[in-house]
Amino acid sequence: MQSSSKVSQLNQTDNKLVEVENLVVRFPILDNGHRAYIRPVDEVSFTIDSGEVLALVGESGSGKSTIAKALLRIVEPQSGTIRVQGNDVTHWRGGRLTTYRKNVQMVFQDPFGSLNPVRTVEHHIAYPLQKHRHLHGRALRDMVGSLLERVGLTPVEETRVKYPHELSGGQRQRVAIARALAVNPKFLVADEPISMLDVSIRAGILKLLNELRSEFNLGYLYITHDLASARYFGHRIMVLYGGKVMETAPSHELIRNPSHPYTRLLLAATPGSGLDGPLPETSNQAPSLIEGRTGCPFAERCPLVVDACRKEDPPVVRLSEGHEVACHVV
Amino acid sequence: MSTNSPVLEIENLSVAYRTPNGDVNAVNDVNLTVYPEEIVGLIGESGSGKSTMAYAIMRLLKGDAYVTNGTIRILGQDVYAMDAAELRKFRWEKMSMVFQSAMSALNPVMTVEAQIIDTLLNHRPNMTRSEAVQRAEELMEIVRIDKRRLKSYPHELSGGMRQRVIIAIAIALHPRFVIMDEPTTALDVVVQRSILDQIREIQRVEKFAILFVSHDFSLVAELATRVAIMYAGRIVELTDSKSLRPGEPHHPYTEGLLRAIPRLTAEEITIDGIPGTPPNLISLPTGCAFHPRCARVMSECQTTRPKRVKTLYGSAECHLFRQGTEG
Repeated sequence: MQSSSKVSQLNQTDNKLVEVENLVVRFPILDNGHRAYIRPVDEVSFTIDSGEVLALVGESGSGKSTIAKALLRIVEPQSGTIRVQGNDVTHWRGGRLTTYRKNVQMVFQDPFGSLNPVRTVEHHIAYPLQKHRHLHGRALRDMVGSLLERVGLTPVEETRVKYPHELSGGQRQRVAIARALAVNPKFLVADEPISMLDVSIRAGILKLLNELRSEFNLGYLYITHDLASARYFGHRIMVLYGGKVMETAPSHELIRNPSHPYTRLLLAATPGSGLDGPLPETSNQAPSLIEGRTGCPFAERCPLVVDACRKEDPPVVRLSEGHEVACHVV
Repeated sequence: MSTNSPVLEIENLSVAYRTPNGDVNAVNDVNLTVYPEEIVGLIGESGSGKSTMAYAIMRLLKGDAYVTNGTIRILGQDVYAMDAAELRKFRWEKMSMVFQSAMSALNPVMTVEAQIIDTLLNHRPNMTRSEAVQRAEELMEIVRIDKRRLKSYPHELSGGMRQRVIIAIAIALHPRFVIMDEPTTALDVVVQRSILDQIREIQRVEKFAILFVSHDFSLVAELATRVAIMYAGRIVELTDSKSLRPGEPHHPYTEGLLRAIPRLTAEEITIDGIPGTPPNLISLPTGCAFHPRCARVMSECQTTRPKRVKTLYGSAECHLFRQGTEG
C-alpha cells in the first residue's frame, strides 16, 4: 500500500518493530513450456509495533504464508524492503541472518508436523537454548523447566521426558510456543496456530499467546482465514487477496465498517455473520497471480466492478485513522 | 420436526474398537432420530466418536471397530440385519455419504464423468449409457459446475469443485438420507458458504434428510434445525439450534463450547476455553466423563453417570437437569 509506506517514512523516528515496504515475492512457473513468473506477494506494505498484533486474513493462495516466509527470510523477496527494529534485513546473510532469526520466531499451523517425533519435549526446547543462548548443564535444565511452566505444560518433570505422540494437539502447540520463546524473540509469526486444534482448547492457546505478548512486549503477525478469531486476537486486520492488500483497519472498525467489496464478501461468508441470501460475488474464479497482470485481482468477482478495475491498480484511499482500502469505487 | 416416520432411528448404539488392551468404546449408548427433510447437526471434538458413529450408520466400520450393542434403522429397515446384496442396493440408493476429504474421495485416474456413470450403472442395470451421461450432465447443473468439466480428472478441479462433484455423486440416485462428514472443512470460507447454500438448495428440491457432522459450532447452528453434541462417545445434549446462544440453559460442555468460539457480531469479545483436554477413551473418568473439566461439577457427577432427561429444547445427560427443568 503506497500511502502507508509514506506514513512509515514520516514516522521513521518512531522505530516500528517491523516495517515492510512494497514487498514482492515471485516464483517461476512453466506456462506452456515457457518460463513465466507468478507473484504470490505483490507490492505489500505494512508495519507492526512492539506489543501489537496484526492479523493477516485471506483465503488459501492469497499470499499469507508467503509473506510470513519472506519475513523469516525463508524465501527471498524479489524486491521491497523488510526493516526490523530499524535494520534493513531484506538481504542479510550468514552470521547476521542467524542473529536476526533469534529475534524472529514462528509457530506453525500443524503441531503434528512441526515437532520431531523421535525427540523428547526437553530436546525441542533445549536445542535453541544451546545453539543461540549457549546455555548448558544446570542453567539449561532450569531454563527449559521455566519455559515449560510458562506455557502451562505442568507438571514440568513429567512433560520434559515425553515424546510428541504422547501429547495432545494443544499441548504440542504449547511446546512449539515454548520453543519459539526460548531465544527471546521480539517478534513472532503465528501461522494459523489454532486452526488444527479442538474448539475447546483454542481459546487457551490464544490466551497464552496474548499473555506472552504483553509480558514480553512481543509483536505478532497472526495469520488466519477466520475473521472472528482475527477480530478477537488482532489489534488491526489486513485483508489480502491475490497477493495484494485489499483493506487494512483496526479490527473492530473492519468488522463494523467493511469497505472493500472483498472484505464484505469474506464477512458475509463467515458463519455467524447473520447474512442471508446470496453472496456478494459474480463468479468464483480464483485470482490470477501471473506477473504483469493489470488492475485489481478481485475485479473478476466483484459486484461493483468498473472498467478501471481491470486496467489500473486501484488507489489506496484513507477512510479514517488507520483504515485504508485499495479500491476504485469506494 | 415432522410427524412422518423417521428416516434414521438409532437406539442404544455402542461401537467399540478392539485393541491389545481390551475394547475401547468410541460410541456409547447413543440415541438419535432424524426425520424426513430435516438437517441434524452432529458436533464433537476429535475423538468424540462422531465420525465412528457416521461410519456405523453406513455400516462402513472397518478393521477393529464393531457395533457392540443397539440398532440402527433407516427408513424402518435394520441396517445390520441386511445381507450383502440388500445392503449394496440400499446403500447409495436410500442412504449416501459425503466424505470429509475432497482430495482423496475421488478416484484420481478416472474422469468425473466415468465416476458418476459408474455409480449410476451399478445401481440401475437397465439404464443405458446415454441416459447415464444425461443424468451426469443434469447433476453437474444441480451442483453448478460447467458440464464440460465432466471430462476432467479430479486433479484438474479446485477443492470446491471436487467437493461439489462428491455431493453430485452422493445425490445421484435420489437418496432419502445423506450423511455429510465435515464436507467443507478443508475449504475457504467463501467457497464453504457457497457450497452450504447449494446443499440447502438441493435439499429443498430433492427433499432428503441430512446428518451433518462437523466440529464448527457456528456453522452447524446456522445450517441445522437440531444439533446433537457429542463428548467422549456420548450425545451429551440434543437441542434446537436456535437455542445455541449464550444465556440459554445448556449442558456445561455446550456452554463451554459456546464461550470458546470468538463470535463475529457479539459486542463483548472475551472467549474462554474449557480447562483440561478431551479425555482418553481408554481410561474415561468415572461418572460423567466431562466432570474433570466441568465448572459446575457436583459430588454425584464423579460417581454416577447422568441419565438422559428432557430439557426445554431437547434432551441432555447432566445432573444439573431434572426432568423438564434445570436444577
